[in-house]
Amino acid sequence: MNIYDIVFYLFAAITLASAFVVVTARNIIYSAFSLLFTFFGIAGLYVLLGADFIAVVQLMVYVGGILVLILFGVMLTNKITSVQIKTGTLQVIPAILGTALMAGVLIKIFTGTNWHSQMAQYPTKTTAYALGHILLTDYVLIFELLGILLLIALIGAATIARKEEKAS
Amino acid sequence: MEFNTIYNNLFYLVPEIAVSAFLLLVVLADLILGNNKKLLPYLSIAGMLVAGFCVMNQMTFSGAVFSPSGQSKSFGMVTVDSFGAFFKLLVVISTILVVFFSFSSEEIKKSTRRQGEYYTLILGMVLGMFLMISATDLILIYLSLELMSLSSYVLTGFTKLKDRNSEAALKYLIYGAVSSGLMLFGISIVYGLTGSTNLYVINTLLQSPQINMLALGIAGILIFAGIGYKISAAPFHFWTPDVYEGAPITITAFLSVASKAAGFALLARFIKVTFVSSVAPSGHWLLIPVFPWKELLIVISILTMTLGNFTALWQTNLKRMLAYSSIAHAGYLLLSVAVLSNQGLVAMLVYFAIYAFMNLGAFFIVMIIANKIGSEDLEDYKGLGYSMPFLGVTFGMFLVSLTGLPPSAGFIGKLYLFIALVDANMITVAVIALLNTVVALYYYIRVLKEMFLSKPTGEPVSLRLSPLSLILILVMLAPVVIFGVYFTPVVEFAKSCITILGM
Repeated sequence: MNIYDIVFYLFAAITLASAFVVVTARNIIYSAFSLLFTFFGIAGLYVLLGADFIAVVQLMVYVGGILVLILFGVMLTNKITSVQIKTGTLQVIPAILGTALMAGVLIKIFTGTNWHSQMAQYPTKTTAYALGHILLTDYVLIFELLGILLLIALIGAATIARKEEKAS
Repeated sequence: MEFNTIYNNLFYLVPEIAVSAFLLLVVLADLILGNNKKLLPYLSIAGMLVAGFCVMNQMTFSGAVFSPSGQSKSFGMVTVDSFGAFFKLLVVISTILVVFFSFSSEEIKKSTRRQGEYYTLILGMVLGMFLMISATDLILIYLSLELMSLSSYVLTGFTKLKDRNSEAALKYLIYGAVSSGLMLFGISIVYGLTGSTNLYVINTLLQSPQINMLALGIAGILIFAGIGYKISAAPFHFWTPDVYEGAPITITAFLSVASKAAGFALLARFIKVTFVSSVAPSGHWLLIPVFPWKELLIVISILTMTLGNFTALWQTNLKRMLAYSSIAHAGYLLLSVAVLSNQGLVAMLVYFAIYAFMNLGAFFIVMIIANKIGSEDLEDYKGLGYSMPFLGVTFGMFLVSLTGLPPSAGFIGKLYLFIALVDANMITVAVIALLNTVVALYYYIRVLKEMFLSKPTGEPVSLRLSPLSLILILVMLAPVVIFGVYFTPVVEFAKSCITILGM
């Protein structure tokens, strides 16, 4: 086991453990804070994969932006800290059977499949240049479509948030 | 890819560009015009007409564009062909009709100040559908599906005056998020297996023997879950009745026709491009033996139509009943994909061309009656056939056509489907579908019975149709009646539109 493996398992453990807390914590503040470690762990995994740009974006957008927004939302909402979230268990036996089956199939797939893989090419310089180039040439359609998707999401969010006015 | 190539490729995307341009125009016009929202629907209709015109121009040529560099020219991200043009035309026509519906919808009138958002989101849905119809790249498929879903979630909860609107939107969003998550997981497995998101590249790689069948099978099922959710096929249909009941009727009608059409176009293209190795001279598709599409589709479609038809029997709300009936129709349409032949494709196009008009027509009349009596309950329809004879009779004609009785157009749709099934030696399936039609007869006719054979309970209501509504009903009624007896043009047109660019 070399240093790369150790770092990988470290980040994977951080991600998994904090993700577990996110879904099981009874206090929503704890969930929001442990989400921070989940995002951080994933950023670490990106770095290990040689995707430096995505790792930085992950930190800036998810940790810096989205998480802060979530925390603001949690803090500014009245009484939310005292609300007991219903994480009770229903239908225990069918749920265990279902998840066990699902886990079995997935483990079988992930261990038994001959995945399409190629040798990692460690970038000598930052990947931002190549990413920018490919986004504006090969994937320009996807890029522009994402722009429209975000516009629609903004307009949709504004529509939902707006109070209904009586027709004049 | 050079910028020159991109520029040349844009020519193929003219309809999509037109829709995006008008989407932005509607946003701008909404801002500039202030409180005068009268112009916006006309702007959307103009956009649809321009897009429709561009699609018509593309009818005859085909090609694949936006191929990533290093790939051969024919491996594109977007494929333009006559099959796509047919479905785009269908989307354009139903959008124009739905915009006209919105003129006379009381629900939409109540929120005049938000008209700009309403039409922007409708155009957003249209753009998503256009790209869904012609996408041949998994990233584009996922993104266009999301664009369409996102707009439709908001539109479902557009009127906020009743609780059930918000409930419907929330249910739609949660189920939708789960299904697109499943689909994305399936896509990631396919990418892991093949190292490509391009359907043509995946097709060539699947023909090599060292593909893990189990992984591909799970991926296929997961991707089908995402598409099946959009077309409301059986195990993924739970949202349909609640969403159709809670959404404004204009949006319900739009979802039941246009978004279903886009979903079916995507499904047919996905199977044809990814899993078919060659087309036999008889028109049958030869599947690459990696995934049992035929068996899966047959089981799902029988489940879908039986469940849709039998649950529709107990419904007392007309919107809910029409929702279950649209699930049943999705079942019949899935059979036309399950045939896996060019003939099945013709049946699907003919069925859709007719289904669009009759289903929109039925929803429109439910909307007009709901505007007047404020209810969609079957109880309140008692004796309406006498107080509103014109609406009663035309509604009856749409329902008869939805059942598929001759001489209505619905019969022709079903006829071509059954011919395709019998030709593919799927006799048992054809018989099950036929028995299902008999069940459907019961609940469609029950509405007519309430309207014409029951005594009105309250005082009689009278309704003066606006000229626009009258014209709209006649426009939708004409194909339903005419295609029932003179169906050669629509069949010939469908036959000319089955080119799916593929292997």
